[in-house]
Amino acid sequence: MNRSAAPPRRPAARTHRGAAPTRRARDRRAGLATTVMVLPATVLYTALLAVPVALACYLSLTDWDGFSAAPSFVGGANYRALANDPSLGRSLVVTLLLAAFGTVGLNVLGLGFALLLNGRSRVNTFFRMVLFYPHVLSALVVGFLWSAILGTTGAVNGLITSHGGDVLPFLADPDWALGTLVGVVVWAAFGVNVVLYLAGLQAVPRSLTEAARIDGASRWQVLRHVTLPALGPSVTVNIVLSLVTLLKTYDLVVSLTGGGPAGQTQTIAYLILWNSFHDGRLGLGSAQSVVLMAVTAALAVAVAQLRRRGESAVYS
Amino acid sequence: MRNRRTATSARTGSLARASVTATLLLGLTACGGGGFSDGGDGDSGKGGDGGDRTVRVLVNITPNLTKTFWNDLVAPFEKAHPGVDVKIEAPTGKGVADTLQQQLAAGDAPDVVETLLPDKTLAPQMLDLTDEPWTKDTPLVEEASLDGRVYAVGVGEQAQSLVFYNKDAFRKAGIDELPETTDEFTAAMGKLKKAGYLPLQTAGDFTTGLQLLQLTDPSLAQRHPDWYQKVQAGDLTVGETMRPYLKQYKTWIDRGYIDKNALGLKYADGETSFLSGKSAMYVMGSWFTATEAAADDKDFEVGAFPAPVDKGQKAPGPQGATLAAPYMILKKSGSKDTARELVEWLVTDKKAVTAQLKQDGNFRSGVDRDLSPLERDVQKILDDAPARVAQGEGYGDDTLPKGFNTAWNTEVQGLYTGRSPDDVAKAVDRWVEAHR
Amino acid sequence: MSLDNLTKRAPATAPPKTPEPVAPAPRRVPRPGRTVRLVFLAIVATIMLVPLYVLVVNAFKSQSQILTDPFGLPTSGTLAPLRRALQGEEFDLVRGYAVTLLFVVCVNVLSIALAGPVAYVIARSPRRRFRALMLFFLAGTFIPSQVLVIPVVYVLKTVGLMGTVRGFVLFETVLTLPFSVFLYAGYITTVPRALDEAAALDGCGRNRTFWRIVFPLMRPVVATMVILNTFSVWNDFVNPQIILGPGSGLYTVTTGVYAAVSQYQTDYTVVFPTLLLAVAPLIVFFVFMQRHIISGLAAGATRG
Repeated sequence: MNRSAAPPRRPAARTHRGAAPTRRARDRRAGLATTVMVLPATVLYTALLAVPVALACYLSLTDWDGFSAAPSFVGGANYRALANDPSLGRSLVVTLLLAAFGTVGLNVLGLGFALLLNGRSRVNTFFRMVLFYPHVLSALVVGFLWSAILGTTGAVNGLITSHGGDVLPFLADPDWALGTLVGVVVWAAFGVNVVLYLAGLQAVPRSLTEAARIDGASRWQVLRHVTLPALGPSVTVNIVLSLVTLLKTYDLVVSLTGGGPAGQTQTIAYLILWNSFHDGRLGLGSAQSVVLMAVTAALAVAVAQLRRRGESAVYS
Repeated sequence: MRNRRTATSARTGSLARASVTATLLLGLTACGGGGFSDGGDGDSGKGGDGGDRTVRVLVNITPNLTKTFWNDLVAPFEKAHPGVDVKIEAPTGKGVADTLQQQLAAGDAPDVVETLLPDKTLAPQMLDLTDEPWTKDTPLVEEASLDGRVYAVGVGEQAQSLVFYNKDAFRKAGIDELPETTDEFTAAMGKLKKAGYLPLQTAGDFTTGLQLLQLTDPSLAQRHPDWYQKVQAGDLTVGETMRPYLKQYKTWIDRGYIDKNALGLKYADGETSFLSGKSAMYVMGSWFTATEAAADDKDFEVGAFPAPVDKGQKAPGPQGATLAAPYMILKKSGSKDTARELVEWLVTDKKAVTAQLKQDGNFRSGVDRDLSPLERDVQKILDDAPARVAQGEGYGDDTLPKGFNTAWNTEVQGLYTGRSPDDVAKAVDRWVEAHR
Repeated sequence: MSLDNLTKRAPATAPPKTPEPVAPAPRRVPRPGRTVRLVFLAIVATIMLVPLYVLVVNAFKSQSQILTDPFGLPTSGTLAPLRRALQGEEFDLVRGYAVTLLFVVCVNVLSIALAGPVAYVIARSPRRRFRALMLFFLAGTFIPSQVLVIPVVYVLKTVGLMGTVRGFVLFETVLTLPFSVFLYAGYITTVPRALDEAAALDGCGRNRTFWRIVFPLMRPVVATMVILNTFSVWNDFVNPQIILGPGSGLYTVTTGVYAAVSQYQTDYTVVFPTLLLAVAPLIVFFVFMQRHIISGLAAGATRG
């Protein structure tokens, strides 16, 4: 085995093994093997993920149209345009509202149903499956399906109007539409949170909760003071995961609302791709991408910090 | 001894790994073989070696213009040119614009593109057709030219500023004279509402903003004859000049002349709703005549009149007009000559032109075809219009920043959500200012 | 006694065996509570399943019946819309399945081939260099892929892979790397080092040790990753739409559904059958594999 991997207590074994030249040769070989193992993934990852992140920053300072070979440098023009463009502010608000309500919905329902379905039984397995299945469908399909159900001429409104009622503006009124979007996101994804929280619950030592019960704690007290604190890391993972996923909502917007009405369901991701590939302004889209990256990073860090502080508060 | 064996086996080991990785990557290439062979480097090779045989045409696909229609359209051309294969390609993105853009990025652009008009980014990619004699008699060719150069040639004209109306509804509401001014138009809506109709059909999607632009063309063009130039120069702003129309539109919403839940309707829902007789008027371009002709189960007659003008202006006003089925040839095309022949044929051959006009409800003076009563109405409106004007993002030298139509549509929809016309006008101005 | 103290004390009190009959099963879930729970769950399950029901019944109806009676069973069931969707002129569904499946396989194989060795080196080296490499990869999990699309178009265009299957598969693979490396490395640290050392003594090279000795032990975590990657590639929309684009002439199931449905969203005889055909095989697959899929996902998360 090569040296880098060997734990510190091994040198004794190595010294008595062989002469110096052989060792060097062996090290070189091992070094080569390591390079062969590390290089392909690292190079590809750098080329198609790390470099693009840097490139996004550079392209945001240009007027690239997507096909010309040499975009010209325009300085902060794209950012200035964004600052004045009413659509960016609106989509930031939409994205943050979606992320906030979505995260709350996903985690409240996720945790709630995980507590309800904890334990092995056939009934639980069945319900877990029913809650989870939308996750295997693509968001695009989910959006088209719900738009056919909740649209103005869709199934639900068809039922209402055929009984003489008034159309409900699920996708026609901006506030309703955002609510519908949040609802569909939660419908489609909270099954995943259920599964993740169930996994977290498995990791809570049963002895802990049983001991609390013996000491006379009520079920609610056990939940509040034993189970939930023990779930801390699980909560952090779930919240960060929900946030990161929700901040890039795109497919569902395309198929469910098309960003409308009045642009009130346009997420930043939607705006980025629309500006870039519909209007051919990839420089502007890059500037929006940089904004989205900054928002994502800030939120993820903030949540992690908050949770850490929260956890240490519980245990201190 | 032992060490040496280790050395060789280790070396063969890592060699084996390396070759496995290589094979994998090769295998991956094989995975890609099928789709890739005629993709990626398509524009570089084919040109020089006389492989002038395939012409790829990127076209717009709509309920009127199906892929089948396009294939049938070019079949006679293929027949007349043995060995030539015209390949019709549908957009894979949201539409022709973003599809072409992706294709350009991939270095895989088609030879001909339909639907788009040249602008500052696209023009350098397109073949200059200024010196082709056959382009001279095509419709709107000068209006759509950029800095005096012709890049796009079209089949016909689309009239934009049309109001389609349900003749039964007008009769029942007691409207004998078609409205000419906005005031008369508003009064007519009041009567129609009393008669139990939804006066004006709108929809969500892109329809909301488009309709308001179509509706304002005739009077805006009279108020500000050089609107585009003045907006470009900063002497006028879009929001400021549009504010009266936004205010007017808002009062229609408030009075229930427009369904306040209309934003939930798709473009096609709007057409369906009007053709089912629930609403009395529908503002749309001339292509709606083709949709109307296809709806054979409706039990009322549809007529058309030009969008109204302000009091005191000349009626009818200038008609918003766009180039129908414009074609451009890509400069990098490897089949330029065949492509040029094809486009010439598409915009000059009588049968081809007629087929296209009929399919999408477009018009061209001097081309006789069997017109439906509704189409005759529209032809007359076009003939009577004193001028043709650009609309929204525009074309040729009359343009607003790219993306204006979308932004305008979004802001106009804000009127339905309780935003004031002033706010909407300001937001539009901010957008134009930001993207100038 | 405060309950906060209880938390800390609990482990200490746990070992002494608790008397058996303290918490017998029936008392923990009293009868009426259990019924309430079941009824509640049944209601929720109905809400979850209604869209699926609407999808299935309406795939066999005419447009007018869908509009007037969206929730009823088809009265005069017709297979025509379904047949039309299957032979759609916009998009060939069967071919879409084949293409998507091929992508899934390519990405999975490539992802394992690339992420496995790196994860092994990272897990087995205490060196700072590799610790940094881990963080480098980990940072990628936080980058929204939409942000990457534009610059990746630029990179792929520069190297001539834009609009090609190779470019697409490579990019999809790269998107799987951060989490794969993270998960694999975490798992490998639980594999005893003694195994590698024994292999090294037998003269195995590093690479070979990984593939021969360690990799076979990673089956559970690789399975998890394959499940996650399969779903993400299968359901991806933006990347096939933009990176693969029109040049390749290839549709995945998702981009194909988009092409077939987006222009005709008001024609429900197009929408429902197309969606049903796009969804049905996946749901059947899920029902049969649900235990593996769900537990695989959970395993991935608890480690993550």
